[in-house]
Amino acid sequence: MDVDDPSLAQVPRPSATKPSDPPELTEDTNLKRRVWFHGDVQISEWDILALSTSLKLLLYPAYRSTDFEVHRNWLAITYSLPLSKWYYDTTSEWTLDYPPFFAYFEKLLSIPAALIDPKIVDINNLNYDSWSVIAYQRTTVILTELVLGAVLLRFIRGAVDPPNQRIISASLFLHPGFLIVDHIHFQYNGFMFGILLWSILMARNGNKLACGILFAVLLNFKHIYMYLAPAYFTYLLRSFCMSPSGQLQIKNFLSLANAVIAVFVASLGPFLVMGQIPQLLSRLFPFTRGLNHAYWAPNFWALVTAADRVLLRYAQRTGADLVINPSGVASTSRGLVGDTIFAVLPNIKPIHTFIITILFQSIWLFKLWRTPTYKSFLTALTLCGYSSFLFGWHVHEKAILLVLVPLSLLAAERHAYYRTFVIISTAGIFSLFPLIFTPGESIVKVVYSLLWILIVHALLSRRVYEFPKSLPYVFLDGLEKIYLAGFPFLLAFVSIFPAYLERRRITADVCVPSEAFSCPDPDGTTRTDGSHLAAMEFLPLMLTSLYCAIGVVWGFLRLMFIYLHEETTYRGQLSALG
Amino acid sequence: MDELSALPPSDSPRKKSKRVRTTSTGIRQGYPPSASPVSTRAESPLQQINRASSTAPRPFPERLEILAPTPRRHLLDSSASQQWLHTPPLSPTSSRAGSPASAASSRRPSHSQHTSFSALLQHGSGGSVRPSSTRQERADAETSATMGRRWIRWMHKRGLKQWVVPMGILAAVLVKACIGLGSYSGKGTPPMYGDYEAQRHWMELTIHLPFRMWYTYDLQYWGLDYPPLTAYVSWVCGKIGSWIEPSWFALDAARGIETPGSKVFMRSTVIALDLLVYIPALLMFASTWQGSRSKRTQHVALLTLLFQPALLLIDSGHFQYNSVMLGLTLFALNFFATGQDLLGAVCFVLSLGFKQMALYYAPAIGSYLLAKCIYLGPSQGGTLFTRLAAVTVITFLLLFLPFLPPFAPISAVLDPITRIFPFARGLFEDKVANFWCASNVVFKWKNWASRASLVKLSTGFTALGFLPTVFITLRAAVKLQPNGSAQSQQSDRAKATHTPFLPLLPYALLNSAMSFFLFSFQVHEKTILLPLLPMTLLLSAAHVDSTVYSWGVLVNNVAVFSMWPLLKRDGLGVQYIATLLLWNRLVGCNPFRIPQKSFIQIISAAVYSAAVALHILEFLVSPPSRYPDIYPVLNVLISTPVFILAWLWSIKGAIEVGWALGGPGPASVRASPAERRLSVGESIPTEGAVGSYRQAGGRAVSLGYGQSRRRAAYGSSRASSVTAGGPE
Repeated sequence: MDVDDPSLAQVPRPSATKPSDPPELTEDTNLKRRVWFHGDVQISEWDILALSTSLKLLLYPAYRSTDFEVHRNWLAITYSLPLSKWYYDTTSEWTLDYPPFFAYFEKLLSIPAALIDPKIVDINNLNYDSWSVIAYQRTTVILTELVLGAVLLRFIRGAVDPPNQRIISASLFLHPGFLIVDHIHFQYNGFMFGILLWSILMARNGNKLACGILFAVLLNFKHIYMYLAPAYFTYLLRSFCMSPSGQLQIKNFLSLANAVIAVFVASLGPFLVMGQIPQLLSRLFPFTRGLNHAYWAPNFWALVTAADRVLLRYAQRTGADLVINPSGVASTSRGLVGDTIFAVLPNIKPIHTFIITILFQSIWLFKLWRTPTYKSFLTALTLCGYSSFLFGWHVHEKAILLVLVPLSLLAAERHAYYRTFVIISTAGIFSLFPLIFTPGESIVKVVYSLLWILIVHALLSRRVYEFPKSLPYVFLDGLEKIYLAGFPFLLAFVSIFPAYLERRRITADVCVPSEAFSCPDPDGTTRTDGSHLAAMEFLPLMLTSLYCAIGVVWGFLRLMFIYLHEETTYRGQLSALG
Repeated sequence: MDELSALPPSDSPRKKSKRVRTTSTGIRQGYPPSASPVSTRAESPLQQINRASSTAPRPFPERLEILAPTPRRHLLDSSASQQWLHTPPLSPTSSRAGSPASAASSRRPSHSQHTSFSALLQHGSGGSVRPSSTRQERADAETSATMGRRWIRWMHKRGLKQWVVPMGILAAVLVKACIGLGSYSGKGTPPMYGDYEAQRHWMELTIHLPFRMWYTYDLQYWGLDYPPLTAYVSWVCGKIGSWIEPSWFALDAARGIETPGSKVFMRSTVIALDLLVYIPALLMFASTWQGSRSKRTQHVALLTLLFQPALLLIDSGHFQYNSVMLGLTLFALNFFATGQDLLGAVCFVLSLGFKQMALYYAPAIGSYLLAKCIYLGPSQGGTLFTRLAAVTVITFLLLFLPFLPPFAPISAVLDPITRIFPFARGLFEDKVANFWCASNVVFKWKNWASRASLVKLSTGFTALGFLPTVFITLRAAVKLQPNGSAQSQQSDRAKATHTPFLPLLPYALLNSAMSFFLFSFQVHEKTILLPLLPMTLLLSAAHVDSTVYSWGVLVNNVAVFSMWPLLKRDGLGVQYIATLLLWNRLVGCNPFRIPQKSFIQIISAAVYSAAVALHILEFLVSPPSRYPDIYPVLNVLISTPVFILAWLWSIKGAIEVGWALGGPGPASVRASPAERRLSVGESIPTEGAVGSYRQAGGRAVSLGYGQSRRRAAYGSSRASSVTAGGPE
């Protein structure tokens, strides 16, 4: 489709349900199947649903993280306790720490659960893992993910370029991130991102009031989406509450404000009445954790921490004149949810990360304020989530989905976006791999992600391919390809190294005494070797984190550059939308 | 012809014919039999224009002696005559026509030789021909296509043709790995555990014990009772596994080990052996047996076979290595198709040497090879026979080498033999959907006859069960054997890659395996996998509306259903649902489709509803204490009739193909050798006996047959007026 065609700019803003393109319409109707229910779903879309559902069903017996028990416990809390005790209960260590809408949602889910198996909602029945609870909770994830599917379908109807959007929608519905985090690890991200995308869809379709309301609802489901709130706030304020000339439109402003306040009242109201807001907030925002999560999320701080480790080694080896913080030497930040203390570099406090994040975000917000279009909003949204992920305090690796999902919507815009998307998706999905460490599931996660990236690449790359324009671009292009080609090697290392280490440890530990040779004192050489090996134990994780962090940071720089130069140099397809 | 097809296509005819479903694009009048059939894949568009312009005004030929249903497109494109039979059959479902590029791509010698039987594989389709000429109908055709077809068409249209096979294989690996996450046979059930433990135990004992003790060591605990190739494969797997982690295969100490690592290792051996044996066999099947079909159809066939639910569930879920045995047998079939009979025989012996269950196929394969010897005539046939015998014996000797005199006393070979054939067990095991178990409900065999007489009875029944196809195969060979045995003619036949009666082979395999399953002694429910292989091969590229397709899907689904008690015991309920959903969606079967017209569709609807009702009942109501086995027995009673019908259907199919080959009449065929070499079509008597040939289902070789649609509402009356004939 010729993107520079001026006629495209006149494409009427499509409503959510009607396809805009006449030829597309006829093809749609042809492919539609006469079944008892189709609800504007094409047969190929049913195919994708059947495919993904059967795959997800097969993952029922897969590994589950503690999040599974967390959610089961929440079912029990919301079912067996009165509202006033929800945020006070400490029977399990997995206390309720999501906002009230999610608690209401769990309450809703707990009612059928009690009918299926009353033991599921027994609050003292900790770590319950019978087949009934597994099947029930996994099924709820699959069913609630249908929200995501429905919203992605709506994205296709009335897209600027439906074939591209269809690929993107399918890729999002089948995203390995959701498969790994939701269907193996266990969470409800598909549902949450369904609401987020719904809100974005409303922005695309011009229904900005609904966009704001849905985002407020989402915030009350899971407060991690606060990362994206600045972009929403700026966009809605500028494009909905103000006229293009900059005058405040009181009516719009009031309706949006009232609606958002109503949402918050519906969510927090009961707790406000009971005076539990401080307790609720203390649950939602525990500021007692360290800079890095147990496994470093692949962000800026992972690079800084690694640099600190390298400097420490350097100082210890050469005796260079560096001020070394002794407590930092001990803190290796391995596997402990605690403070990361740097040995050489100055220490980071929450306020620092906060300031850096705000500084970066204000750049995008300024740009967004100047050009409050849908596409600009989407990019700024991605970048807001991105800067929070890169510079935030105690960021979890799962938060990369906040970047991957909105960015996917931009993937087919042009080659620069597409390349950024490929780099970040590869690095981001790879960085999710350590979440799943059991061997059987590891095969699944790797094969599925490989299949996904291959298909998406095969489909999208030729649609948007552009030749590198000048020598620096050719050089960067080559470097990026080398970086992407490094992932198989990293994967090979990560999977082989632990086995190798295990073997080394066995040979180090086992000593067969013979006539001429008696075993050395166990306190002697063996132990130092063992501790040396133990230090190596986290090498695969660290390498994964570092390698992915390089890609993620580079993708950030790319996207930043693209955003700041967008519109002056290039107008993509999505620019057609206001 | 070749020069013409090298011309670039002019735009309009190509567009016109682009998405029309055709049975064959290359229709030419007076097609010279001596010409190479290779380049007939597609015609030059120029030729098409000429023909179309000359014949377009009259949709039907003036000559009424047309023998078989002919798709309308043929009539439009050429003045049809019975000469069309001489054209090599092309893909009935290819939607590409007339592109010189496709002609070029098909110009591979390996494909050219198999032009005849892929059309025959399609023979069973019924109904009338619907010319899908209008756009609406074409849209309908696309909609009714299966998920596999839709996906493949989509990939092909986007120039991702070469990605289909690797991605399909990768997806199959993914599905197997996902199934492998679940439970397996005998998990957490000491002291004996299940099949998983048996396989693991064999790896353990083969790597730790000398050959002599393999078949004698602690027989009470899963003594080795498969032929030596299984033992060798177990040895290789065990060696690799114990290199990775010795504790997985520590002798006796590792019994019942259920660590995650050992489980993943065992699961990955299944996937690895699949990738080494079964999947290459499938790829080769697609390029030989389906070699004359379009790439799309080959891909569809591959996907259908890759995701066959029964095999997925048993191998990757329950835990066994059936795919190795099936893959070796399939290699044998492929080599028969390429004319390398000796290699085929070796593969089949290896298959037998991996799992004695492959004996179920032995009557079919034996009779095929014998028939080929007869067909080749006394001198060449005799040579082939001697060679086959020698190769078979040598392969067997090599397999059993460690148990034979230079390495062991002569009595040692008896150990594996007695272990492999246990006649000391009961008539049937558990509840299995075969004749004995089903009839046992009303007729208690054990009270009525001794075990020895039951063995004899079951052997006799089994032999009666598979004799029809053996007879048909041999008869076809005799009939096709020329009377004048000129030397040149025989050498021609020896050079031809496959025999004309090769299309009988899948039916014969289905017939013999199904009769073993239904009537033989000591059958497991898992053994249904053996009849399923030829059934799925027949199904693999069949059109959605053909009878073959309906039977294939029904038997596959019922086979999985018949294994439900086993799968339920193994804890594979979710996998059962998921694989059935995936595969049925893939092949485009909707069991709950409303319009049911033909016999098989009514049967299918009845069986599916009974199965679903049984599942619902079982889910809601626990069995009464008087009849704790009520659900498995009901399961058997639902499944067995389907298998018996499938067995009968295989005989019917074989008879039809046999008639198509030789005609029902007693006269044998005289035809010039050059003609014979071309395709099966040539062997049909064109002079005399026309009526009887038609009546007898001679249309089975009709190229248009596979294309026909059962549910065709439109055009049936007109088409049938021309094409009536043949029993239905």
